[in-house]
Order: sequence, then C-alpha cells, then structure tokens
Amino acid sequence: MMLEAMYLVILIGTLLVLISAFSSLLAFRFGAPLLLLFLCIGLAAGVDGLGINFSNASAAYFIGSLALAIILFDSGFGTSIQSFRQAAAPAIALATIGVVLTTLFFALAARFVFDFGWLEALLFGAIVGSTDAAAVFFLLRIGGINIRDKVRSTLEIESSSNDPMAIFLTITLVQLIANGTPLSEMGVDLLISFGLQMGVGLLAGFIGGMIIVSLVNRLNLERGLTPIFVIALSLLVFSATGVAGGSGFLAVYVAGLYAGNRQIRSAPTLKRFQDGMTWLAQILMFLLLGLLATPSQFPAIAVPAIAMAVFLIFIARPLAVWLTLLPFDYKREETAFVSWVGLRGAVSILLAILPLLGNLENATTFFNAAFIIVLVSLIVQGWTINPLARRLGLVVPARIGPVDKVELELPGTALHELLAYRVVPDSPVATGERIPRWARPSLVIRDGKSMRYQYAGRLQAGDYVYLFISSRYPRLLDRLFASPLPVQSDDAEFFGEFSIDPQRPAKDLHAAYDIGLAKDELELSIDALLTKRLGGKAEFGDRVVLKNVEIIVRDVDDQGRITSAGLSLDPDSNRPNIPVFLSAREIAAHLRQRVKRRQPPPKTPLGPPPSSLAPATDSTDDQEPQPAPGEKQSASD
Amino acid sequence: MALADLLAPDAVIPALKANSKKQLLQELASKAAQITGLTEREIFEVILQRERLGSTGVGNGIAIPHGKLTTLPGIVGVFARLDQPIDFEALDDQPVDLVFLLLAPEGAGADHLKALSRIARVLRDQDTVAKLRASDQASAIYTFLTQDEASNAA
Repeated sequence: MMLEAMYLVILIGTLLVLISAFSSLLAFRFGAPLLLLFLCIGLAAGVDGLGINFSNASAAYFIGSLALAIILFDSGFGTSIQSFRQAAAPAIALATIGVVLTTLFFALAARFVFDFGWLEALLFGAIVGSTDAAAVFFLLRIGGINIRDKVRSTLEIESSSNDPMAIFLTITLVQLIANGTPLSEMGVDLLISFGLQMGVGLLAGFIGGMIIVSLVNRLNLERGLTPIFVIALSLLVFSATGVAGGSGFLAVYVAGLYAGNRQIRSAPTLKRFQDGMTWLAQILMFLLLGLLATPSQFPAIAVPAIAMAVFLIFIARPLAVWLTLLPFDYKREETAFVSWVGLRGAVSILLAILPLLGNLENATTFFNAAFIIVLVSLIVQGWTINPLARRLGLVVPARIGPVDKVELELPGTALHELLAYRVVPDSPVATGERIPRWARPSLVIRDGKSMRYQYAGRLQAGDYVYLFISSRYPRLLDRLFASPLPVQSDDAEFFGEFSIDPQRPAKDLHAAYDIGLAKDELELSIDALLTKRLGGKAEFGDRVVLKNVEIIVRDVDDQGRITSAGLSLDPDSNRPNIPVFLSAREIAAHLRQRVKRRQPPPKTPLGPPPSSLAPATDSTDDQEPQPAPGEKQSASD
Repeated sequence: MALADLLAPDAVIPALKANSKKQLLQELASKAAQITGLTEREIFEVILQRERLGSTGVGNGIAIPHGKLTTLPGIVGVFARLDQPIDFEALDDQPVDLVFLLLAPEGAGADHLKALSRIARVLRDQDTVAKLRASDQASAIYTFLTQDEASNAA
C-alpha cells in the first residue's frame, strides 16, 4: 500500500512537471507569461479541478522558500557586475524605499476596500510589495527583444533584490499581529531588527560567495559533482544566515552575485546546471502554489481583489516608482516602463502563506486576494510588456548579427576556454578581417580537414575556427564572426538617418543644422557635447535633442567615449508624450519657468500630483505649452 | 513638403559617371551651380564640409549630401543615378548609386530638415528605389521621385 501510494504521487508529480515543461513550447509561441501557465496547471490539477487535494501550507512554504533561494542564487550568478554597477543605486532604492512606499500606498487603499485594521492592511501591502524576479527576467529576456541596458538592469536587479525586503516586512507584521503588539511600541526594535537582518545577510552573502569560489577552485572535484556542490553550498549560505538571524534570501543572492563575477572553475557547466535548476524551482513553486489554492473560494473575494490589483498596477506602483526614481533623472518613458514592469509572482503567493501559518484571523482572505492579484498582474502586465517597450522606444536593435559559436570547457584551468566559431558568409572574418593575436586562433577545420590557422589562408564561409582564449574575452570577437546586419527602416528610426563623427567639433554640427548651442558649447567636440548633455555618461542608444535634430549614440567604447553617433531629422515624432513621471530636473525647470513668468512667484504647493505639472498636452487649459528639457512638442507633418 | 517643389525636371542626372566620392560631389555641385547661378566651388565646399562631419550615405546604396548656403534663394535639389556604384564611406559599406543633393538657404531652419527627412523617407521605399535603379531616362526618374509623393503624402 505504501509503495503504491508513493508511485502514484511520483507519477502525478512528474506528469505535472512534464506538462509544465511542455507548455513552455506554447508559451514561447504565443508570448504568454509562462509562469501564469504553470500556475494555471497547478490550479487545474488542484482541489477544484482534477481533485488533487493538497492543503499542507507549511510544506508549500518550505518547498517554496527553498525554490526561491535557488532562483535568487542563480539570478545573482547571472547578473554581471557591470550591469549591477550601472543600475545599483536606483534598483536598490526601488528594492527598499520602493517596496515600503508600495506597501504604504497599497495599505491605504486596502484598509478601506477590505475593512482591515492598519496592521492588517500593511501586512497585505507587504505581501504584494515585491516584484517577481522569475517573471521579470523571463519576460524581459525571452520576448526576443532587447530592452535598453539601463532600464533592463534596473528592473532585473530590483526584482531579485526586493524579495528580502518584502519578506522581512511580512514576517515582522505577521508576528506583530499574532502577538497583538501595537505598532507604536515597535518603532526602534523594528529598525534594529531590520538593520540586523540586512547587515548579517549582506555580510554572510559576501563571505559565503568567497567560500564558494575558493572551494570550487581549490578542490579538484569530480566534474559532475561541482554544480551539486555549488548548489548545496548556496543553500548552506541561505540556511546558516537564517539561523544566525540574517536574511537568508539576501545572503544567497549576494553570494550568487559574488561567485558569478569571479573566475570560477567550470563556469559554463555551472551556468547550464543552475539554469535547469531554476526552471525546476520555478515550475515546482508555481505548481505547488497553484495546487494549494482553492479557486472555488475566489469569486467571493474577486471584486475587491481585482480592484486592489488595478490600484496596485495603476496607482500604487507607479507612484512609488516615480517618487523613488525622482533623484535619479530617469526619462519619463523609462519611469513609465519601470513602473509597468512591476510583475507580482510566486513570492507574493508564498508570503501570503505566512498569515495561514501564523493562524491570523483573515488568513484565507490574504491568500486568495494575493493569488488573484498575482493572476491579474501576470495577465495584464505580462502580456503587454513587449508592445509597451516598443511604443516607448526602449527596444534596442541588435548590435551585431547572429553568431554561430560553441564554448568548450577546458580541464584544469579557470582562466581559459576554447571557443569554436563557424564562419558565416559576409562576416568580417570571411571578408578578410584578421583575427587579433590575443585570440590565439589555433585550428581551422575546412571541409572536414583540420589545418593550422597560419596555413589556412583567408577564412571561408563554413570554416570552423578554434580559438584558445581568456574567458573574459571582449565582445570584439563576436563582432568579427557575426553575420552582417542589414540596415532596416526601424534602425534608421532608432539610430537616425545620417551618421555623425563624434570626434568633430560641435560648431561644425551647429553650422550644418543650426542646433542652438550656447557659446561655450561651440568649443566642445560632439562627443564632449553629448556626454555633457547626458549628464556625464553616455550609453548606447542615448538620445539628445538639439533644437530641431536629435543625436543618437550609436556606440560607446570601453572608456565610455562615444565612437559613433547618428542624426535623426524628426526627433521623437512617433514617441508618445507621457504627461506624468517628470524627473526632479524637469520639475525644477518647470518651477523655475513658472516663477519667472509670474512675478511675484506663486505659492508652489508641496508634493503636487504629477499630472498637474505636466505640459498641457491634451487638456483644454489654455496655458502656453512649456517644452521641458529633453522634450519636444511632437511635430506632425 | 513635396519633392516636386524642390526638384526641377532638369535637375535629374540619369546616368552619371564618376570614379570617386570627390568626383561625384563635384559633378553634383556643377549641376547645382547651373541651376542656382552660384559657383561650383562654393557649393562643393559646403557639401564637403558636411561630409567631414560624417558620411551622408544612409545605407542601401543611397546618399543624401546636403548643406546650407547664405546666398541661395530657396531650397534646391539635384538627383543623380550613377552608372557604376562608387564607395561613399556609407554606414553599411555598400557602394552608392543613387544620390540626392539638397541645398538650403541659411535661414531655412526647419524647412531644410523637413525636406531632408522627406527625401530620406521617399528613398527608403524599396519599390521606388528599384524603379529608380532600373531606369536611365531623366523624365522617368523624375516621375518616379515625384509621383510617389502623390500616393504617399500624409
């Protein structure tokens, strides 16, 4: 009997996992948020569907937490330190202040919609306070589009680092409610406990990451065991930190971030293995949470829950993001996109289990409402990310054509790897470009025969070239082997019609297009002018409006110098004009203008709603339109 | 801004022979000098100056050299179809065989840019470009360039 039950459980479990894995084919085809499918498969198999009765909340929380630890380690491991640096400050602000603000705004509404007490409303806010790393990563990468670096990094780092904050808030609030402590008595203790959790988490993460790297590099483990070893160590970091009173989730993310950015042995194998583990963890987590839910209870609470989801998507998150990003000078379309990609996911449902475990009064309400909010978020936001990114002009055309490349792992060293490129027709190497010496081209295979690179002569399409190279190879090599990118009309729109040499003096540009430069700017090079206008740092795809033309950064070298630029003749004519999300700089400029226009200056209200500050685009109000910096009245022809 | 407003029927060179970018620009300048009465030298200088800022080759074998001149009465265009494509240092490294020269008076400001943008858009249309390449009659080329206008005008 025991054995039969075991087989049955395994049979059902594996079938569910297989169905989920299979559904990924559908998801890629239809662009559906895959995680939504996993969740739905869990729901369909559950108590109100096929009738699998799984109601063990503590088991679900246990497995879910383990899965989340694995996912967070992998997302840290896959985050390059360059993109982390680029977006760390705004992303961490979003992951901390942003989560708190979202929680507060959400709680304000939840208090009235659900008739909760303050603590309960706050708890509800904390449960849905964080964005879901799995959902964000999947939807930003898999859609086949390339979102601008800065925005993508911000979102990815935010989503993988805001879970600890939401988890901390939720656990704290559940304890407060369970113990019946009023909020006012907790003030200082709360701060201390927060500092302890995060401080210990950070520190343990760093130390754990160092230990992982040095152990893997020092011990000569069996190749197949290394990934298991690393996963086990990461879970050790997670659990030990938790035992020591720190945030295990933060620690495991930091450890991953550290290990992934060090020279670590068999990094490609590790990446592949963790990729698989993350998929498995996601499938398990979503399936299990789907199974745990009782959808027949949903209708009773659907209306207020959907109302709260709409409030979260359209008001709480945008407001929190806008306020948090104010000091960071994000463009309006960037802020708009960041606030839209506030996908809620498994973590919110996972946290909604905590009130159940704490035997709180409204525990089922929390769980069901959180579940509905996650569903709405995945459907509404998950499905619209791609079109929105295109509409906002945040999609970057691919920089190089496809590359045909295999990475081979070498035994005995962490510092080198063997790359095999297939030479594609019309790639730079096929048209006579030489491979640099540092790339150590070793072997060429042509028509099944191998020869040394020195004797192979000019490379031909279809050749395989083997290069022995330091594992930190520059992008340059990919570029040499890439197939050419045809110039597309989309590209002309993105990069501008004409090319501009950024080394030329800005006054030449002024002479050709009358771009309204100040006297001191005439002395600069175009590179310096653009960098200055961009606030000191140019990034691929940045755009600068200069009176009637727009200059676009087409490429930036390793030192941040602009090496290629384009000129567009109708700046932003097809960009939507977003009336909200002004940055601090825009608001300051706006206020200055107001003060200048009306003497004596009017009283400026503190913290006015963003819409009242926007240039009057479609309002009937007969104010003169006020072009804010970086913004041009859209000129239609 | 219709192309017929800035391109005269006699400003079309249907089968220009040129061996280099410099020679091509000179030929265009000389044609523009005939139309405007300015000297070939000053026109050539202005468009060369613009080329130094970056090639006006926009890809797909098309170039749109341009510049501003103080003494010009209005916006003037010259179109040339080349017998043999030549290297124009274009972004996509493709040799160029369709060239639209645009000259504008110093004060033209936004009109100058609108005209440029219009030309770029017309020459981005694959059908028009194929027809232009296939024809060596000035009148036919003129029609292709300007009729597209009528159907495409927004």
